[in-house]
Formats: sequence, structure tokens, C-alpha cells
Amino acid sequence: MAKLLLLEIGCEELPAASVYEAEAQLPVLSERQLGAKPDQLLVGPRRLAILVSVEEQTGEQWIKGPPVSLREKAAEGFAKRHGVSVDDLEERDGFLGVVSLGEPLSEALPGQLDAIVRGLRFGKTMRWDDSGLRFPRPVRWTCARLDADPVEGHGTTTQGHRFTHGEVDVPSAEAYVETLRSAGVEPDPAERQRLIGEGLDALGEWRDPLRKLREVIHLVEQPLVLEGSFDERFLSLPAAVIETAMQSHQRYFPLGENRFAFVANGGDPDVVRRGNENVLEGRLDDASFTFERDVNAGIDELAGRLGSIVYFAEAGTFADKTQRLVALVDRLGGGDASLEAARLAKADQAAELVREFPDLEGEIGAEYARLAGYPEAVSAAIAEQYLPDSAGGPLPETEPGRVLAAADKIDALTVSFSLGHKPTGSRDPFGLRRAAIGLDRLATEGGLTIPRELLPGQVGEFVEERFEGLLRDVPVEFVRAARAAGVPDLGSVARLAQALAALPDERLEPIHTAYIRAGRLGEKEKAAAKLDPELLTEPAEKEVVDALAAVEPQIAAALETSDFEAAVEAGARLGPVLHAFFEDVLVMAEDPKVRENRLRLLLDVRDTLGALGDLAQIPR
Amino acid sequence: MPLNFQDMIRELQAYWAARDCVVMQPYHTELGAGTFNPATFLRCLGPEPWRTVYVEPCLRPSDGRYGENPYRFQQYYQLQVILKPAPEDILDQYFGSLEAVGIDTKRHDVRLVEDDWEGPTLGAWGLGWEVWVDGMEVTQFTYFQQLGGMDVAVVSGEITYGLERLAMFLQDKRTAFDLEWAPGMTWGEVYRENERQFSAYNFEQASVELLMRHFADYEAECERLLARELPLPAYDQVLKASHTFNLLDARGAISATERASYIGRVRDLARQVAQEYVGEAAAA
Repeated sequence: MAKLLLLEIGCEELPAASVYEAEAQLPVLSERQLGAKPDQLLVGPRRLAILVSVEEQTGEQWIKGPPVSLREKAAEGFAKRHGVSVDDLEERDGFLGVVSLGEPLSEALPGQLDAIVRGLRFGKTMRWDDSGLRFPRPVRWTCARLDADPVEGHGTTTQGHRFTHGEVDVPSAEAYVETLRSAGVEPDPAERQRLIGEGLDALGEWRDPLRKLREVIHLVEQPLVLEGSFDERFLSLPAAVIETAMQSHQRYFPLGENRFAFVANGGDPDVVRRGNENVLEGRLDDASFTFERDVNAGIDELAGRLGSIVYFAEAGTFADKTQRLVALVDRLGGGDASLEAARLAKADQAAELVREFPDLEGEIGAEYARLAGYPEAVSAAIAEQYLPDSAGGPLPETEPGRVLAAADKIDALTVSFSLGHKPTGSRDPFGLRRAAIGLDRLATEGGLTIPRELLPGQVGEFVEERFEGLLRDVPVEFVRAARAAGVPDLGSVARLAQALAALPDERLEPIHTAYIRAGRLGEKEKAAAKLDPELLTEPAEKEVVDALAAVEPQIAAALETSDFEAAVEAGARLGPVLHAFFEDVLVMAEDPKVRENRLRLLLDVRDTLGALGDLAQIPR
Repeated sequence: MPLNFQDMIRELQAYWAARDCVVMQPYHTELGAGTFNPATFLRCLGPEPWRTVYVEPCLRPSDGRYGENPYRFQQYYQLQVILKPAPEDILDQYFGSLEAVGIDTKRHDVRLVEDDWEGPTLGAWGLGWEVWVDGMEVTQFTYFQQLGGMDVAVVSGEITYGLERLAMFLQDKRTAFDLEWAPGMTWGEVYRENERQFSAYNFEQASVELLMRHFADYEAECERLLARELPLPAYDQVLKASHTFNLLDARGAISATERASYIGRVRDLARQVAQEYVGEAAAA
């Protein structure tokens, strides 16, 4: 008979990130310990709870004892340990043992539930007493019920809303959700999300530019969506400043003009609204004061202060970074607007407003440049320097913006790699994967020419490896093949890989085979240093020489003009003659001079095709 | 009528005194936060129980705005409560203190929002929250995990009320300058001129040469006292060095690269003091 089990871990207010961590692990832990995934996951700031359907008995188990040959010596002790007589032992596969009917669930449960609580892993934990348990915040109670029965080691009460309801009895697992709902708590995060979404929609067009909703769902147990407004005089501040003041600390949602929405955890709506309005106006007042000080200083003065702000310990200050950016923008062929933007790009790191609201970086620098009278192109580039800010996010719309964004990413990657901060596994605290993907997209979608020599060694490898995931229609081996080609810029690697992948199989096959065989033979045996036309005897080998002479300059010319389809097409033209060559000509001829000459020819074939990349990477 | 500033402080002190806290007075040297007071930093090391409540004037030289910004001051007040070990109902006790100064927690929206604390100059960190009342941050709440680079023997709960913020909330004032301190006297009347003059000192007049010399002196004196097994006076030198560093920083006299090294020097001293203090206590 299945029963419903409740386990609730009651905590002091957990960070939202910890709630999400627990939410991801509870199904796995539940299945491992209880043999079933939870029917419901009820997680939030003060409780991590599961409701699971479980069988009353744990499964039948064969407990293996001593081998039959040791019946005399060891059977008695084993039987005694398991509470049976020696005669009751069964024999299976040469061993004695007992069949355990499984424990009643009530006996196994305390240990299993304890294993769930202790099995949760969090990024950041603490201790609060001498229990030895580590958790993101103190665990203050646990509550468990198997249907209506208590579970040893756990309480049968929970806590309602922190300020309107105290301790309440949970009569059964089934009654858990309703018990909490009548105690002022909505335990289901999906339901809280729905209530919040509905409440916000009812207030109009709401925005969440800094994506706070995910956190807000776990900042409340009883969502109360309210609307507030602020004095219109603050509308003279840049919209980004207003929105950031609302979102970054207070987690409010802009509703446009001077209105905002926020989610409270209860209280008298009028009282709570007035308090929150005061707080926001205070923050806007402070922001206005700070904004004016920054504007009065001016962006050039701010840029001048960068020498006293560390960019990265051991990688100098933002003044040093600025110099590197200017040099990189120059190497990337940036024009006057890009160079000016690079010089001012990091000025806002010295702005008081950015110290207060780091999310404003870039955007507020652009505003200060605009107010100082710099051309719109400069200002736009400063605003766009951090784009794309997610793997699929939009690219900068302006050319100077793309150049500056690329320079910023190249510098971030180069500095981080040189200091040994490389992403490992899923850990990427400096967002280097995002930067590398951004760089690849700037080179492909953005059409920016990014010389590969700006990305030496591991940085280049890391950036180019990202094409393997980015170019969805190109198998990864073609990317690896193209990376080995001598093409000079990042975008060319991608386009060459695409051209190679687009070549029909039957046309790729002959040059692919020839490339691999030529390489294999040519490297193993001694080849002539230079091809001697006098030694060519077979028509098929003469044809290869003629074809090479024709195709090699075609490939070079096509690569020169970045016409990768034409380059691959030219290479593919070698296919038929190479096929004939391997059919008709014995490379390993008796005469060593003839042999070495043919081997030379094969190496020339390999080198010519090698301009298209390392075709050996492609499996056939 | 909401409580004025001095009555609010008196209520909070009485509330915690009734819960077995020793009512201490502010420390006698400049501190950046109540955590630096030895009644917190040193007393929270080691296994001995300790409960205290005290007001601490906090000096943040670079936060001064010449008394012109309604929200930023180079000096403000904290009320610090330490409960060691942190009792199970510490949060309920804290919420009771809000009720004691007139905040009805059923009518207001009181929230604990994740905010982990780290004090790099003290080699200290803890996990906790900022406490919001209707969106206003009125308290920092921290469970200490490490002090002076050492895991704490017993976890203390630190409750730090921002007194001006709390009073602004209670008195419904938009700036600290308008707070009623005592009948007929505002916070601004008490402190505005102070803010103007000390901002001028911190940003313009403080003698860099003198401060540099003092920093080196405090550092040397601290090490000398440590060698004499006198961690308490040695800790005063850490505090003085720390404040001197803050002044130099406000004065713009410390380059970005030097900054980390200064912080490291203070942290190193704090770590040695903590070790010596714990060692002394164990030997006694």
C-alpha cells in the first residue's frame, strides 16, 4: 500500500540561490533514499519540503552470508546476527544467506530522511550550533508525517507566516499544503510565481531588466503585489539610473513613468506602500546627488582617475586596461569614434554612481560622454561595449561598438588566462565562456575582422573551440579541420569550416583520402627535397603535377579574397586526378629516385590541400 | 508619537539589558563599525558565553559629503548586540526589539534578505541578512563564522542596527538631518557642522605624511606588544592603524596597488592578535 510521506526542513530565511540548489537535488535524493521522486516539491525561503508516495515496506533483500563450505565454522554466528537458526539459512550460488522481507518503512524512514537532509549540497554553507550540520542558514525544525503517523526524530508541527501565524500542527502529509495556506503561507513556488505574475500583469506593463523575479519568488511566502509611485522630479534622471535604483537593491519592477510595482510578504498595503515609496525616493535622491557630482566632474576627469582603481589584482589598474583597449581597437582597425570610445570606455568605473550601482557600467559612461558633448557614435560604443551579455544576446548595433566590444573581450580573456583563471567544468566565475562566444559571434554575425594573432596560445584555442557549439550546422570535426588552416582571422575559421562542411560527400571523399594517404606515406618515407619533373614517368602522376600547378594558385587566390567556397571548390578539383593517381601509380617504386620523387609529389599534394585545414580531423 | 533618537536608543538598550546583555559604552578609539570594538571582535573568539549591547559611533571618512547629501555621512551610529552563543530564538528576540521601539510587525513588511558579511581587514566573515522594514534596511544580522582568520569556537549572532535608518523609518523622515534627537533638537543641529568640518579634514586637510608615519608606528607598536603577550593593547594599535588607513584612503593617498597591501598588513596584525588572545585565554 502506498502512503504519502511529508518531509519539511524548516529554516531561517534561505537565499533564493540556495532554494534553487535544493530544488534541483531533492528529486534525486528522494529517489535514492525513498525509491521515488517527490509528487510535489514545496520550496521557499523558510522551508524545503517534499511530498512523496512511498511503499509501506522496503523491498525484499538477499543478505549473503558465508560460503557453504564454511557452514560449520561461520554459519552459526551469521544466523545469530540475523535472528534465525542455522537450519533456516538458505543456499544460493554456493553461499548461505537469509531473505530479509524488508523493514517496515517506519523503521527505515528516520535514517533515510536524515540522509536526505544531510545529502543536500550548497555552494555556501554555515554552522550555527554544535550539531555538525552545515546548511545555507540555520535549520530550526523538521516536520515529517507518513500519512497521519509521526516519524521518529522529526516533529509534527510547522511554522506559519512569520508574523501573522506561529506554530501550527500538521495533522497529516496530505493536509500539509492546506495547513500552510490557512496559516498565511503559500508553499508551492509555482503558485507563488503565478500569483506574482498575475498581480504584476494587473498593474500594467511591467519590466524586469535585471531579472529579479526569480529571486523575488523566494523572498516571500505570502506574495502581496503592490504599486507605488515617486515624485516626478526624479524623471529628469536617465531612465537606466531610475530602473537600476528600483531593481538592483530593492527588487522593484518598473511600470513606466513614475510608477513601480513590488512584492511584499504581507502587512497593511497602505503602510507598506508608503514605506517603500519613501525608500525609493531616498535612493533616487541619493542617486541624483551622485549623478550630479559625476556630471560635474565630467567623463574626462573620471577617466583621469582610473589609475587608482584596480582592474584585476596583478593586471594593473583601469588606466592600464584603457591603454590596452586603445591599442587593441587600433589593431582591430577601429576608426576615430572607436578609439575615442576606448579611451573613455572604463571612465565610469571611477563614477560614484557605478560604485553604488555596478549594473550601470557602460550605460552611464555613455550618458556622461553624451553630456560632455562627445559624438553619438562614441557614446553608443561605450554603451555597447559589454554586448553580447549572454550567449544568445544581441550584438552591438554600431561598428565602433562592435570593435570596442571585441577589444574588451580579448583583453578580459588574455588577462584572465595569463593569471591562470581558466574556466573549469561548469565553473566560470569571470564569464570567459560568454566572452569567447561573444567574440566568435562578433566575428561571424557581426562581420568584424578579428586577427587570430591577437588571440595567441590557449586563449585562441579556447575562443575557437567555442565555434564547435556555436556553428550548429557544422559538425565539430570540420571546425577542428578549419582551425588548422592558416587563415588570418577568426571569422575565416568559421566560414572555412562551413565551406568544408557544405562540400558534398562524394567530392570530399577523394581529396580527404588523398590528403590522409599522402600524409601517411610522405611522412613515413624519405621524400625528395624538390620535385624533379624529369623523373615523372606515368601519365597519372604528370596529371597530378599539372592539376596542382593549376589549383594551388586558385586556392591561394580564393583564400586571399576570403572566398572559402571557391577555395574548397578548387581543392575538390584535385579529387579525380588524385583518385586516378592512386589507382595507376605505384608510389613505392623500386627505383629509389622515382620513389622519393613520388613521395615528394604526395607531400606537395598534402601541403596544397592543407591550406584548407587539417582534413585528417574529419572522420570518414 | 514616535520615539525620538535618544529614546529609541534607550528602549533598545533596555530591551537587550532585560535579556541579560551587558550594556557597554562606545569604545574609546575610532572605529569603522561596531564589529571592530573588542567587545565584539575579541569577545566572539574563544568558547566563553558573552552577551552585550552598545552604541558605537562609526567613522567612514570617505563617506562624508560635507553635510550636503541627505544620506551620506562620515560619522553615524550603530547599536550593536552580540549574543554568544546565538540562541535558537535569536530572530524572534530581534523582532521583539522592533516591536519594543514601536514597529508593529503585523502591519509592516519585515523581511530578511540575504546579505553575507565580510571584513577583509579583520580576516572575518559570516552569513546573514539585511533586515528590511517596508523596503528600508534597518539592521544587519550576521552569524560569525570566522574572525581573525580562525573558525570561531562558538557561533555568535551579531545584530547591528543602523540607528539613523531605523529612526528615519520610525519618525517618517527623509533625511537624518531632520531626525528629532531630543525634544527641540534635531540630528542636523547636533551634527551638520561636524560633517562639514570633518569632510574637509578627511578629503583635504589630513596630513598624509603624518598619517603614513602613524600607520608605520601603530604597526610596529602592535608587533612589539604582541611579543610581550599583550593582545588587548596590541589590538588597539590594529584599530588605530585601520582608521589611519581609512583616512589615507579618503585622502586619495593610497594607490590602487598599494591598497590591497595595506589591507593585508592590517589583516595580518588582526590575525596575530586573535591568535594571541585565544592562546592567552586558553592558558589562563
